[in-house]
Amino acid sequence: MRTIHTSTKNQRISTQELLTSIREAVEQGECDFVIEAQGQHDIPGPLWNSQGKALHITVRNPGQRVGAMMLPGTNVLVEGSAPADVGWLNAGGTLIVKGDVGDTAGHCAASGTIYIGGRAGARSGSLMKHDPLYKAPELWILKHTGSFSFEFFSGGYAVVCGCDCEQGSVLGDRPCVGMVGGVVYVRGSVGDIPQDLALLPLDHNDQAFLNEGLDRFLRAVDEKHRAPLLKDWEVWHKIVPAPKQELVRPSVAQYRKASWIPGGLFADIVADSGIHAPILGTGLHRLRIPVWENESNTCLDCHKCALTCPRNAIERTQDTTLTYTADPATCIGCGLCQAVCPNHIWRLTDAPPLVEHLPGEKGRCVMDNR
Amino acid sequence: MEAINTQDIATNDLAWKIEYIPERCTLCGSCVAACTFAAIAFVRVDLPHKKTKLLIRQEPSLAHCCVGCGVCEKLCPSQAIRPIANPHSRQHLLTSCSGPARRGGRSNLQRQRTVDALLVGRISQMTDPSLDAERHTFDIKAPLGRILSPDKLPLQRIGDTLTITGKTPPVRWIYPLLFSDMSIGALSTHAWEAIALAVAYLNEVCHIPVRMSSGEGGMPMKLITSDKLKYMILQIASGHFGWDRIIRTIPHMPCDPAGILIKIGQGAKPGDGGLLPESKVEHHIQHIRGVPKTTLHSPPNHQGLYSIEEAVQKMHLSLHAAFGFRVPVAIKCAASSTSVAVYNNLLRDPYNICGGFFLDGVQGGTGAANTVSLDHTGHPIASTLRDCYRAAVAQGLQGQIPLWVGGGIGMTGQAAADAFKLICLGANGVFIGKLLIQLLGCVGNEYGRCNQCSTGQCPTGICTQDYRLMMRLDIDKGAEAIVNYVLTFDSELRKLMAPVGNSSLPVGRADALISTDAAIAKQLGIQYAC
Ligand code: SF4
Ligand code: SF4
Ligand code: SF4
Ligand code: SF4
Ligand code: SF4
Repeated sequence: MRTIHTSTKNQRISTQELLTSIREAVEQGECDFVIEAQGQHDIPGPLWNSQGKALHITVRNPGQRVGAMMLPGTNVLVEGSAPADVGWLNAGGTLIVKGDVGDTAGHCAASGTIYIGGRAGARSGSLMKHDPLYKAPELWILKHTGSFSFEFFSGGYAVVCGCDCEQGSVLGDRPCVGMVGGVVYVRGSVGDIPQDLALLPLDHNDQAFLNEGLDRFLRAVDEKHRAPLLKDWEVWHKIVPAPKQELVRPSVAQYRKASWIPGGLFADIVADSGIHAPILGTGLHRLRIPVWENESNTCLDCHKCALTCPRNAIERTQDTTLTYTADPATCIGCGLCQAVCPNHIWRLTDAPPLVEHLPGEKGRCVMDNR
Repeated sequence: MEAINTQDIATNDLAWKIEYIPERCTLCGSCVAACTFAAIAFVRVDLPHKKTKLLIRQEPSLAHCCVGCGVCEKLCPSQAIRPIANPHSRQHLLTSCSGPARRGGRSNLQRQRTVDALLVGRISQMTDPSLDAERHTFDIKAPLGRILSPDKLPLQRIGDTLTITGKTPPVRWIYPLLFSDMSIGALSTHAWEAIALAVAYLNEVCHIPVRMSSGEGGMPMKLITSDKLKYMILQIASGHFGWDRIIRTIPHMPCDPAGILIKIGQGAKPGDGGLLPESKVEHHIQHIRGVPKTTLHSPPNHQGLYSIEEAVQKMHLSLHAAFGFRVPVAIKCAASSTSVAVYNNLLRDPYNICGGFFLDGVQGGTGAANTVSLDHTGHPIASTLRDCYRAAVAQGLQGQIPLWVGGGIGMTGQAAADAFKLICLGANGVFIGKLLIQLLGCVGNEYGRCNQCSTGQCPTGICTQDYRLMMRLDIDKGAEAIVNYVLTFDSELRKLMAPVGNSSLPVGRADALISTDAAIAKQLGIQYAC
């Protein structure tokens, strides 16, 4: 057991001196520390005992990033509160803070456990993730968090017990924005969460996890008396990413049917109400129409036109006289008949614009009738 | 055999040549049947030994020249036919022998855009951190209407509270992307309806407050008497087409329109008035515009407006009054070397009624114009806008008469970048027209493809009143394309606002821009970088 006082004769030792002395002691086999800090940062950082023994470090009055980048086997206990970034990038250690912590607690933690016996600041738990090779990270918070908590949360477990927070969201404003994985358990009311997340009641597995975990947590932060209150699962929820939802927007066609001006904008002046037709048309939709003009009686009755027509539109009839006709229902007006005919009987003519044929109140406007 | 002379027109004189591979052709007839310009036809050629062969021939004629629209290629089941631009074309020269040529579309000579020489070069990183484009709440709105300076606001402090003691001019806060000015007549009823439908959908389903300017061809009665009128900006140009009917309908309007836009000039053809060729003045157009079947000209000037002061007085005052002083009235001019003088004049605005100055740049489009105007008149938009904005700043009047700019926005497909850069140069918002019809399927471009909007033979059914062609346009699909584009625009605009750290539109934040062109940087007063 080594106790380090970070000031001697009113002289505060630097973070570098403190961390170096801890590291050297660990290398010499020391596993237990009590550190009376004066705001030195990054206590203790990545540390390991060469025989794999656990390290126990009790800290009072740490600076920022206490418990950051801890390796498995490192146990840090903060008596009292700690500033920002506690447990940042935790890679497997255990951090217990008895009091409150500053912003971004547990930021990017990927393994290990963080217990906070008070409140946590803004952006707590942001970007926590679960490295599949190791055990999922855990972040336990006794009271509540500041705003923007659990942003981009993508793996692991966060538990916010909501103690002493009877009003407002226990997760602050705009929690869980960009959350894509993991579970955030929360006891108490939550503000609006993004639409791609779901707020669900606990199932049996959740209850089992919390039941066991709460005992560990409350023991660690000396709050065992709260257990009966906290184990009322009715007031708990979990936040998880919702299954991907299909586009809920109606199509424009659906919208037109339901909410557009009935009949279309121009229904009072033209009968067309927005009909769509493919580029290639027959009948009145043709740009050009073939006409069989056999006044000179020079048709050879050779069938060439009928055989060439790509649409099989040409019919030959002979009642009193020989007649070739192009069926408007199938003819597209391509003019092949005109081209193939040896005696120029077929003539491709421009068809009149369709508007001439449109039924309805052609040329009359509703306002005109007033 | 027919004698051919050197003066006869051959297909190699034309701007587009048809490449045809007879071996692949199945003689299905689709291409010839669908070509609205009758630029191709079947011919029979005689081969030796009394054999014949059917082929497709391109018409060697100016009246039936191929315009490169590509409909034949689209329909061909066997890739046997396609148009190819002919670099040796003599078509411009030859067309000019029969009077001034007219066409629609856009300038085919002025393709260079200043915005393409600008980059968003100031990215917040360590300093004033950038925002999260996906999750931050952005306020993407632009004013249409006269904004009063704080000292002119009719506010009075009575005890501890501020009280409004008078009237303020009407202002609408709308989406900074405005659908602009394509008239019913220039556009087919299908195309116009598709755009209007997209606007309503964007407002009601997507909650994006996009507004649409009617263009100068009047308004459909069914729209003007519905509550969707609130999305519409009614345009009045020198021809005043359809306005007697709009005025008659005022008592039947269930709500106010979004605004009134007085069109003085158009960027694609400044100095040239509106033009609707007789071929497009079909029955329904006659009824919407209140005209007989004839070619419709809007004069290049508003008759009876001889000065800026008069324009402000007569047009602004009257239209303002006609709609009960509740509707903002703005004015649109073609960008010009005199734009700053006009804007300075407007800024005096003793009546507080000028609700916006719309500047249309040289790359705007049009339904019909003289080719010489299209290709040789106009003014780029960037420096005009910048000069106007700086003139306002110099007088401490920036933001009071909103600046809206258009002309070539989205020419490269990315309207959000163009909009963002122009907003940084001082625009409050931008307007798009040509881009919308391109989303509907228009195949025209700056390289002489199609641009036949004035002929009534539009192959995509957009710029025609021939129902056979109009029906080629699927209104729902067209509107859907516009909606999807605007949604993309919206996300892309956020992607640009976030890195400069602005959650509202960065109007005038030219510090966010750099130019890799020293002359442009100097003219616009922004940083040069290389
Ligand atoms: S125009 Fe074409 S489709 Fe019509 S009849 Fe003649 S060959 Fe057949
Ligand atoms: S190809 Fe001509 S000549 Fe032969 S049947 Fe047809 S119309 Fe008559
Ligand atoms: S490209 Fe267009 S104009 Fe030219 S032949 Fe084909 S369909 Fe006709
Ligand atoms: S569409 Fe193709 S296959 Fe059919 S006639 Fe034309 S070139 Fe021949
Ligand atoms: S496709 Fe229609 S709208 Fe587009 S350029 Fe051609 S004629 Fe004009």
